[in-house]
Amino acid sequence: MKKIQFIYILIVALAFTSCEKVIEVDTDGNNNTIVIEGNITNTPPPYFVKVTSSVAYNQSSVYPPVTNAFVVITSDAGVRDTLTYTNNGLYRTNKIIGSPGSTYTLNVTTNNIVYTAQSKMPNVVTLDSLRSIDLKFRNEVQYNVIPVYTDAQFFGNGYRFIQTINGVQDKTYVVWNDNVNNGLVNQRPIRTRDEDVKIKVGDLVKVEMRCIDENVYRYFYTLQELAGGGLGGGVTPTNPPNNISNGALGVFSAHTTQQKSIIIK
Amino acid sequence: MNVQIFRKVILITAFLSLKSITSAQQKFTISGTVKDKATGESLIGATIKVTSSKPYNLKSNEYGFYSITLPKDKYTIKVSFVSYNESDTTLNLDSSITLNLFLDNKFVLKEVVISTKKKNDNLTKAVMGTETLNMRDIAKIPVLFGEKDVLKTIQLLPGIKSAGEGNAGFSVRGGGIDQNLILLDEAPVYNASHLLGFFSTFNSDAIKDATIIKGNAPTQYGGRLASVLDVKMKEGNNKNFNVNGGIGLISSRISVEGPIQNDKSSFIVSGRRTYADVFLKASPDFKDNELYFYDLNAKANYQINKKNRLFISGYFGKDLLAFGNSFGIDWGNQTATLRLNTIINSKLFLNTSFIHSNYDFGIKIKSGETDFNIRSNIKDWNLKQDYTWYANPKNAIRFGFQAIHHTITPNTFTGTVNNSFPKRGRESLENAIYINNNYKANDNLTIDYGVRFGAFTVLGGDTYKLYNKGVLYDSVVLAKGKAGKTYWNLEPRLTANYRLTEFSSLKFGYARNIQHLHLLSNSTAGSPSDQWIGNSYNIKPEIADQLSLGFSRNFNNNNYELNIEGYYKTMQNQVDYKDGADLRSSIDLESQLLFGIGRAYGVEVMFKKKTGKLTGWVSYTLSKTERKIDGINNGNWYNARLDRTHDLSIVATYQINEKWTLSGLYVYNTGNAVTYPTGKYEIGGQTIFQYANRNANRMPSNHRLDISATVQFKPRKRWSSDLSFGIYNIYGQQNPFTITFRDDPNDPTKTQALQTALFRWVPSISYNFKF
Repeated sequence: MKKIQFIYILIVALAFTSCEKVIEVDTDGNNNTIVIEGNITNTPPPYFVKVTSSVAYNQSSVYPPVTNAFVVITSDAGVRDTLTYTNNGLYRTNKIIGSPGSTYTLNVTTNNIVYTAQSKMPNVVTLDSLRSIDLKFRNEVQYNVIPVYTDAQFFGNGYRFIQTINGVQDKTYVVWNDNVNNGLVNQRPIRTRDEDVKIKVGDLVKVEMRCIDENVYRYFYTLQELAGGGLGGGVTPTNPPNNISNGALGVFSAHTTQQKSIIIK
Repeated sequence: MNVQIFRKVILITAFLSLKSITSAQQKFTISGTVKDKATGESLIGATIKVTSSKPYNLKSNEYGFYSITLPKDKYTIKVSFVSYNESDTTLNLDSSITLNLFLDNKFVLKEVVISTKKKNDNLTKAVMGTETLNMRDIAKIPVLFGEKDVLKTIQLLPGIKSAGEGNAGFSVRGGGIDQNLILLDEAPVYNASHLLGFFSTFNSDAIKDATIIKGNAPTQYGGRLASVLDVKMKEGNNKNFNVNGGIGLISSRISVEGPIQNDKSSFIVSGRRTYADVFLKASPDFKDNELYFYDLNAKANYQINKKNRLFISGYFGKDLLAFGNSFGIDWGNQTATLRLNTIINSKLFLNTSFIHSNYDFGIKIKSGETDFNIRSNIKDWNLKQDYTWYANPKNAIRFGFQAIHHTITPNTFTGTVNNSFPKRGRESLENAIYINNNYKANDNLTIDYGVRFGAFTVLGGDTYKLYNKGVLYDSVVLAKGKAGKTYWNLEPRLTANYRLTEFSSLKFGYARNIQHLHLLSNSTAGSPSDQWIGNSYNIKPEIADQLSLGFSRNFNNNNYELNIEGYYKTMQNQVDYKDGADLRSSIDLESQLLFGIGRAYGVEVMFKKKTGKLTGWVSYTLSKTERKIDGINNGNWYNARLDRTHDLSIVATYQINEKWTLSGLYVYNTGNAVTYPTGKYEIGGQTIFQYANRNANRMPSNHRLDISATVQFKPRKRWSSDLSFGIYNIYGQQNPFTITFRDDPNDPTKTQALQTALFRWVPSISYNFKF
């Protein structure tokens, strides 16, 4: 019986064992598109806007900085801040101070094209604490961290979580909103899809919680879905819909940020 | 306007049939049922040739019934059906009579046949894009894991493409996977696959035959754009008790059939279950996991009296996939059909059906104190009446109505996670009346024409929001029990066959098809979690218009058959998700949708060898399928995912002797249209890919060879059995299942494409028995 069972498992395993290989693919089309990544938060300034351009898929991941852009952020309170170029495509703010509830407009001008984006910094939903749970999944004990917070009563809150384990960032995009459990205490654990991440007893896990607006939510939600993979290749790939005009890639995000850490016991 | 056309068609039809009636001398009707002599199973599509000075040809309908009205004369009636001995009856027709015809099954199959059709059927009938597969035909064709599967076999026919390797989902002439009306004893099956698509819900032991009609269906069918797959369950033996079974690598099957009352009524119960989990559970590594499906088919029929016969059939299937108690997915279809065949008189046949179908999908997640379910459901109640009036030898008229009540419940959370705004099931009514006439104009020309007039009504009980390009601008609150928007549609259809010579014919077809229910899928392949949605204030009925032209030529005394068909199809009101759509928890799914049009065209060639030791076919399709949806690909035309330029299948079965049969299958197709990254950039320190045009790239092409051998053991008393074994993908071709992109592990500044291939050298073995 033991032998039959072994042979059976072997046959089934043979049938379902997938075979991977690296292949060459031909792709051509657009690259050298402008990429704008702007962040403004409720922590003390300065804030940075990074302007680079995309490269072809088969090139080295070295992204040429755009050094001659004219970058301005204005707030709905009427503050206008012209950013100063530093290096590596980074532009630094000079006077604007991020505050929850304010709307910010970013203008990036390069080669006579103006790229405009707008983002509203949501009000702070307090991250009260972190706790960990262990669950058995595929016969392994896995540890997950639950960020404890109470969703705001009014509908339309979005959150992004960035988890760092012993100083190494988990590459999973984790974005949630209140389409479910509006106004309730969160019980969802942060699930990782990063194959390199396994949380063990004794690990130091740091979690950053960002309150994000709807457009920023949609941007990172799309990345989360695209990373999902799944049987048959997952979601049809697209550029995530973003809040920047004129076809620029990237996102401009005004968000609040908080951090907490936990040692897994 | 629509109503007027409908009236005209009815008038013309009535006129044509009356004309023949009034000009008649004294005429009488012969009618009855064609049955298997040994089992009492009614024979669908048997050819009945009535000869006096002039021959008349007709076929038994899907209940084995036939009827013909002829002048007083002496006639010879020849009945033939593939793998049955022909029967001859001679009679003097001087009064209307009931004549039930019984055929002897040739017990030992000397040759394998690939069609139940009469030898030159393709030349004489006004049907296009239609193939019927008998279970016996497909038994010897090699399949993945040795599971005989009608859905995988039809994918070897021209114009029908598999949704993915090993997948039971299929696309017909550029249609979506949801654009096929899959009927099991008339009940729609909403998800015809098991185990994430690798198996179909159809247990081959319980199936009598399956007919696929690629867009030119007669008007009694309606509701899907691309095709009708009409699967009929066996009725069961009404003379003897039989047990059939099979033991395979993945699943085992058993069915029991027998008489309820001898010669009058019968039943069949058939079950199948996979047992990978039973073996896997014995291993400590897998003991907490669940992975299985089962299905159960049951059917009984009862002859109430000479004129009435009652059928009850049901299907119940379930899939479960779970990791411990932390995560589980389950889904299943249930269908039930209650039918009454009534022979109203010798010329008028009525079938009344009451049908229920149900599809459930659920995910269960438990982690720590979080414990919740996500469930969606679609439920139908369906009433149909279908009349066949054998008006005269030239006209056979079918008419009737259909009324379906749908209830569709989108993804709903329960447990510790709940929707912030409660979700409600939506109800709707889909009604249709139809008429169709099969008109034999003369010896060379046959025309099948008709019209279907349908109405789809949105029913109350929910708030319907109206969007313009995803932006909310109005809403309609519809109270429960109230009828909302109604869509009226007319579907004219026509197929004509003109016999050019004794061995060749020319065909023409036009059909309009309407679809009211839409499957929303954002994944590149189908998934059991894909949700159905009905028409609403935003979602309009999908419309397809298909023109087709065909040529058939038979060779060598009808032993070889060549069919060529070309088609051009346009599609309106196609539905797709917008980029970044939220499928699981969006407040209103309709806000995530986009609408557009589609077009598909192609040429299909099928060359069959129907008799002899070597039988099989070569099928080739050259085709193109595109979509144009406002909000996708900048509103430009793009390739549909299953747009595959070339599709070739070669199927061959060779009967070495009475004991051994060999068969082989070769397929080649162009890769799917996919979207590869054209560039990359970095946000938040992570690489993000940049995409250009939707589906502008191609996966590498697929090809593989499968072989199998069947050995028939000597029958002992009542016991007969055979053993089949085979190898799928014998030369181990790595056919791409997915291609993903990632940072090169050895050099993170580089990106590489990683191809995953699933099935290579998959062995199969199965033992089938009957007693």
